Amino acid sequence: MTTYHVTTYRRFALGLTVVAVPLALALLGPLFAGDPGPRAVSFTLGGDHWLGTDFVGRDVWHQVLLGGRTVVLTALAATALAYLVAVPVALVSALTRVRRLEELLMRPLDVLLAVPSLLLILLVASVFSPGAAGLALLVALVNVPDAARIVRAAAGEAAARPAVEALRMQGESWWRIAVGYVGRSALRTLAADAGIRLTGVLYLVSTAAFLGVGVAPDAADWAVMVDRNRTGLMVQPWAVVVPALLIVALTMGTNLLFDAAFAPRVVPRVAPPEVPRGGVGRLRPRWGWSRRSPRPQGGALRKGGRQP
Amino acid sequence: MTTQLGGNAPKGRGAVSICGSAAGRDQPRRRSTRTTAYAPFVTRRLLLGGAQTVGVVLLVFALTEALPGDAAVALAGDQPDPARIAAIREAMDLDRPAYERLADWATGLLHGDFGTSLASGRPVTQYITDAFGPTLLLATLTLALLVPLGFGLGVLAARHEGRLVDRLVSSVTLAVYAVPEFALGVLLVTVLALKLAWLPPTAVGYGTDLLGHPAALVLPVLVLLSRPVCSLSRLVRAGMIDALASPYAAHARRYGVPGARVRYAHALPNALAPAAQQLARTVDWLLCGVIVVEALFVIPGLGTVLLNAVAERDVPVVQGLAVVFGVLTVLLNLGADLVAHRLTPRAGVAA
Repeated sequence: MTTYHVTTYRRFALGLTVVAVPLALALLGPLFAGDPGPRAVSFTLGGDHWLGTDFVGRDVWHQVLLGGRTVVLTALAATALAYLVAVPVALVSALTRVRRLEELLMRPLDVLLAVPSLLLILLVASVFSPGAAGLALLVALVNVPDAARIVRAAAGEAAARPAVEALRMQGESWWRIAVGYVGRSALRTLAADAGIRLTGVLYLVSTAAFLGVGVAPDAADWAVMVDRNRTGLMVQPWAVVVPALLIVALTMGTNLLFDAAFAPRVVPRVAPPEVPRGGVGRLRPRWGWSRRSPRPQGGALRKGGRQP
Repeated sequence: MTTQLGGNAPKGRGAVSICGSAAGRDQPRRRSTRTTAYAPFVTRRLLLGGAQTVGVVLLVFALTEALPGDAAVALAGDQPDPARIAAIREAMDLDRPAYERLADWATGLLHGDFGTSLASGRPVTQYITDAFGPTLLLATLTLALLVPLGFGLGVLAARHEGRLVDRLVSSVTLAVYAVPEFALGVLLVTVLALKLAWLPPTAVGYGTDLLGHPAALVLPVLVLLSRPVCSLSRLVRAGMIDALASPYAAHARRYGVPGARVRYAHALPNALAPAAQQLARTVDWLLCGVIVVEALFVIPGLGTVLLNAVAERDVPVVQGLAVVFGVLTVLLNLGADLVAHRLTPRAGVAA
């Protein structure tokens, strides 16, 4: 049975609460947005418009309802795409016995890892004008090296277990070993990494949109709203503050949620031995030998779960 | 997995090499094995660094010039007028094969010649030297505050593990860690600069003389610090908790070594290795953060130059800045890996 701290549940609930509002707005907002209505004067407060109007006189609340979808969907697509490339690369390089193939797969990624991610995105944006799909592809690309390395490390550990050797000797197919055993063993690491990665991807997608990459200059997008309505910050702060707060809540909540979801399980902690006042002289040797002695070898096999 | 390895390391030579030269002198054989094991690692890491530098240069070139299709048409973008396309083609020598242009450009880079801007005809190096000051100032200030703040918070939290201070520091750092700079910056500007009028909202009007107006620097540095401080302090906290729970820390306590000495002289150096690496990754973030912060606070630094060049599709300037940023990142990561390996030789720091 796995046990978690009470505080872990509490943190999970906190993350869920923080992320719920922006996520609901992002996914359900467009359904309730309705008709945009006629354009009014730029940067006004009150009147018919609950949150005022933006830099071209559109209703801010309407824009807020529409603006979350691109951020969330682009981030989700980019994360999924990154793993679509990273996981096969990692599994092949973890299971191959041809060292050259592994080098060929993993070394180029090390080079890509050296380039700051935002820089790579701006570099491409200086030549192309990537749309939302292009931005998702780019963000996925900059995330592949790191994701592949982490999955490779987890899969490599699983691939070195005696169970894999046993499966090979039984004549199981490569797919069965790679997906059924090694991939499954790496799943927890992968899930934890996906949470962290999604947070990073959300950061990157919204920052790129703020800098004008992958979005139209007047797009209904929270990050674009923050950028374009900054000029009217003195007159009409809501057009900036509301989308900025939503982005803060979205990223913060996602991070809190995934951190709580993959918090390490509670291991009953052994209390440290009391230190006698008199110093080491009075310390008795502890019954410590058995802890250092070799463990029975069956552990590795059982650890991987049911044999496929 | 690195932490597991790192957790093993301090028991042995990593701790010895830092915590006291006396222990090192007692074990001359061990020392010599370490130094011989260090050399191949350095060679390998330097080779990788060299490959990464070459890779960055190739990647920058490939992404901006060796595109499928006609680069001149793509660059002309919104104004596909034939005269402009021809001008771009001539300015960038697009009629010559890509490998020749790459060779010319790369040899130019070696001599410090980054080419000339398409938009203004000024040399790219001039752009870089003009804008270098503000960015360097921002980065230096941020780093100077980042190290004491990050380590201080991390040690503070680790010292009070599980208590209120720790929970407060941990949850705040966890929450702020993920927030994009622009959103946080805009909110801070709204509250601190516009509502309370404590600080100027942007650096407009100060030009490159930012040091003369320290008030204008407070918000940019604060925003730049937000993410790196969180990641660094979380890592230091985790490393310190591991190190303080380790047998050698317990042993030092049994000998009656004072708590502060155990924390700072014995445990902290071992929590340092992952933190040193994170510090380099952080500088990578700083480069990204600087772009956003300069755009947000209208500071005329390298980030602003890069964004303007991207908007104008001024490829030589973008290339030059990308190479500068990329090579800087490679060098910093190289330095951090070497330092981290020096601190925990057994951990086999991933290159």
